[in-house]
Amino acid sequence: MKKVIMGNHAVSYGVRASEAKVISAYPITPQTHVVELLSEMCANGEIDAKFIKVESEHSAMAACVGASAAGVRTFTATSSQGLLLMHEMLHWAVGARLPIVLANINRAVGPPWSIWTDQNDSLSQRDVGWLQLYVESNQETQDTIPQAFKIAEELQMPVMVVMDAFFLSHTYEIVDLIEAEKVREFLPPYQPEIKMDVNDPHSFGNLAGPDMYMELRYMIQEAMEKGIDVIKRVDKEFEKVFGRGYGVVEAYRCDDAETILVTSGTVASTTRAVIDEMRDEGISIGALKIRVFRPFPFEDVFEILSKAKKVAVIDRNISFGGHGIFYQEIKSALYGRTGIPILGYIAGLGGRDITPSVIREIADKALSDKNPERYINWIGVKR
Amino acid sequence: MVEKVEFKTYREMPIRPMTVTDMLWNRTGSWRNVRPYYDFKTSPCKAGCPTGENIQRYIYLVTENDYEQAWKTIIDSNPMPAVTGRVCFHPCMSNCTRGEFDEPVNINAIERSLGDKGIENPGWMKRSKPSKKEKVAVVGSGPAGLSCAFYLARQGYPVTLFEMEKALGGILRWGIPEYRLPNDILDKVVGAIVDSGPITVKTGVKVGSDIGLAEIDKEYDAVFLGLGLTRSREIGVDNEDCDGVHPGLEFLKKVNSGEKVDPGKKVAVIGGGNTAMDVARSALRCGSDVTVFYRRTIAEMPAIREEIEEAEKEGVKFYFLSTPKEIVAKKGKLSSVIFQKMELGEPDDSGRRRPVPVEGDTFEMGFDSLFPAIGEQADIDGFSGHLETEWNLISSKGEYGETSNDKIFAGGDIVTGAASVVEAIAAGRKSAERIGRFLSKEEEPVDTPDTVVGIDDMNTAYFSKVDQNRVPRIPASEIRGTFREIKTGYTAQLLHSEADRCFSCGVCNYCDNCWMFCPDTAIKRNKDDYEIDLDYCKGCLVCVEECPRSALSTREEGR
Repeated sequence: MKKVIMGNHAVSYGVRASEAKVISAYPITPQTHVVELLSEMCANGEIDAKFIKVESEHSAMAACVGASAAGVRTFTATSSQGLLLMHEMLHWAVGARLPIVLANINRAVGPPWSIWTDQNDSLSQRDVGWLQLYVESNQETQDTIPQAFKIAEELQMPVMVVMDAFFLSHTYEIVDLIEAEKVREFLPPYQPEIKMDVNDPHSFGNLAGPDMYMELRYMIQEAMEKGIDVIKRVDKEFEKVFGRGYGVVEAYRCDDAETILVTSGTVASTTRAVIDEMRDEGISIGALKIRVFRPFPFEDVFEILSKAKKVAVIDRNISFGGHGIFYQEIKSALYGRTGIPILGYIAGLGGRDITPSVIREIADKALSDKNPERYINWIGVKR
Repeated sequence: MVEKVEFKTYREMPIRPMTVTDMLWNRTGSWRNVRPYYDFKTSPCKAGCPTGENIQRYIYLVTENDYEQAWKTIIDSNPMPAVTGRVCFHPCMSNCTRGEFDEPVNINAIERSLGDKGIENPGWMKRSKPSKKEKVAVVGSGPAGLSCAFYLARQGYPVTLFEMEKALGGILRWGIPEYRLPNDILDKVVGAIVDSGPITVKTGVKVGSDIGLAEIDKEYDAVFLGLGLTRSREIGVDNEDCDGVHPGLEFLKKVNSGEKVDPGKKVAVIGGGNTAMDVARSALRCGSDVTVFYRRTIAEMPAIREEIEEAEKEGVKFYFLSTPKEIVAKKGKLSSVIFQKMELGEPDDSGRRRPVPVEGDTFEMGFDSLFPAIGEQADIDGFSGHLETEWNLISSKGEYGETSNDKIFAGGDIVTGAASVVEAIAAGRKSAERIGRFLSKEEEPVDTPDTVVGIDDMNTAYFSKVDQNRVPRIPASEIRGTFREIKTGYTAQLLHSEADRCFSCGVCNYCDNCWMFCPDTAIKRNKDDYEIDLDYCKGCLVCVEECPRSALSTREEGR
């Protein structure tokens, strides 16, 4: 069934179709609709899940940790300061190897107070160990939720699905709704091999000495490295049932492109339109959308970008004192294997609109600027 | 301790950071320096009840829909909840913790509902067989005598119950009007008590005149005197014996026995106690215009507050600080009363301010009837020489009604002076227990002091404010010409709604808070109780803190 829904509700419908059993969340703009609809679904019996109300995001993730450890499919959603408050528990979810799925609506971090989008909240959680998938449309948002559960449960790792505030969360689009009955063909009920069980008592999250800690960390990295293949396979399996797939990256008119713009989130959609316009003008340009940020698809990125002559990365984020965060990853993917110039552009922080003309400005700069600042070029700053 | 597990490669390790073996060797209870334990205390309602009804318990049983056990719980300390549920002054409710939170639980109404259920289910009453050979005489069948007879019969003692009137019940029958306590209810209550065990009834026999106390003393192994106060006190003014002036109690007795009484158009009632209220409201129901005269103010009236309020609502008029100075009779018949105005002076022995006449301030009003209801006295002239008395009451030493004669016990108004039904019931029961020990030569039990909890012991965060459920009643406008019972009693829904308001102070009612909060899952939930697994309780005392009703206490380890 097709329905016009907002991005936040696309998350809720995705969770409903995935038949999560425990949902615990704390409301925060711009995430609130996600859990509002889910709480209604829990209340009216549309979904057979326990909705746990909590007093903070830290508690929300703590509740998810408990529920997931007890062996049920568990979901939460948050944004910005909420995600940051969860930080300690985000580590816990990874260390305890719990397949929790979290939807984060990218919102700029205060102060100054902002409710509008940028990626610094989720990207500042880069090294925690959560898988991170960045989506660009309401349809992809809904479809990514069951994929995320499948990936998480297979890897025994938590997965974050990340989307732009307002540009996606509050924007209405047509979504082909997936139903639980059909999703079950793709995502079977969660049956963990290990779970907390009073009849088989163990101590969880217990002390591990220097003789064991490193091995447990090694296993997390091993799961991450396996992750790219698992994500690809899960995406294929999803496509088989529903006819839609998204890949780990998406190359748009890149095959013969001399210049490639690297983007993520909703900017990817806008960029495609700009690429078409420039192609019409005879400019050899393409775009690469990064959907999976952790684990980072180094090989897929290298394969596409190594054919180009110039790469321009648009970052809606900034690692202060460093570079754009996607930029660093791209550089790392290409390092030592090509001599292609990689240019970094910072745009759209705190919800400033990245319009087609902004992207065109970036593309033109990348094409013509003989002496770009290369690593970090600020777009649209009133200097 | 278990053996330490060594991993050669990470592939042998579980994916999750967890112990491979169980952790049962690690009994974290050893970290504890203070332990919680279930420690049920006394709820203030029970502490405030003269007969010590286990109120928390029977209200809990109501919430569990176990009316039979609830009724039996009351019967263990009071054989007539259908009576007390109607006429008691319910000190339990004045003591109720909930009273300091919003409004007290309407214990009285719950008790009545259960009492009525007991009447509807006569099978609930256990029948006692005569298992003892010692015979006991109980004199008087008011609340004290009935209670004493009941608890003696329960112990298996054959009881002979002496009553000077033709029917049993004493003050319950003659002194309390039907609109508060219908005769058919009383008949059933009395019948159930008499049928509950080896009780032989002798009505129309006045001990002290028809049969001497000495004779009874000789014939029986023990005697209980629960005669109550049967003689009306006189005002002490001229013409008190004229036509139209009758003791209030006498009027009530006539009305209660179904006699058609016409007190006339204008009626004056003298006094401020429950009898005065009963007389006034009964006269009102006979169609009279009734005025109560009391020598102090409404604040000093000893009557139950509710009775005063209802009398006012029904249309009884009140004159305070007024006392009869002179009764004016014409041709031997009451014509008018001259009242002396009073004012409040220094407090007397009762703590109430003594009324003193205001010199020269009098007024006169005409009446058809005058009913003095200023108190009753004992009729114990026939006992003189056989028992120690004081102020025309039987002297008792000790709380079980022991008198100067080893074999004779006494209780109720005859010992205390005018008191209450429930205090008489308590006295009857205590004497019955004491008589049992006396006859079987048992030792007196050692008193263990109760720990009574109050509002400060409650975790009121768990309670929300809920109004008391009022008892449905017939409107005050419909009372004239009928003695129909005013209060129609709780419906099942109201009964449960009111029972749910009980805090269950000091006693566990299985709310599961301790069980839910224990961070070590060291609390085990059994069918009828909880158990603390001290192998794992670390002594955090969250259970104690989160118990809404103070049913847990703490003790330091090693002490």
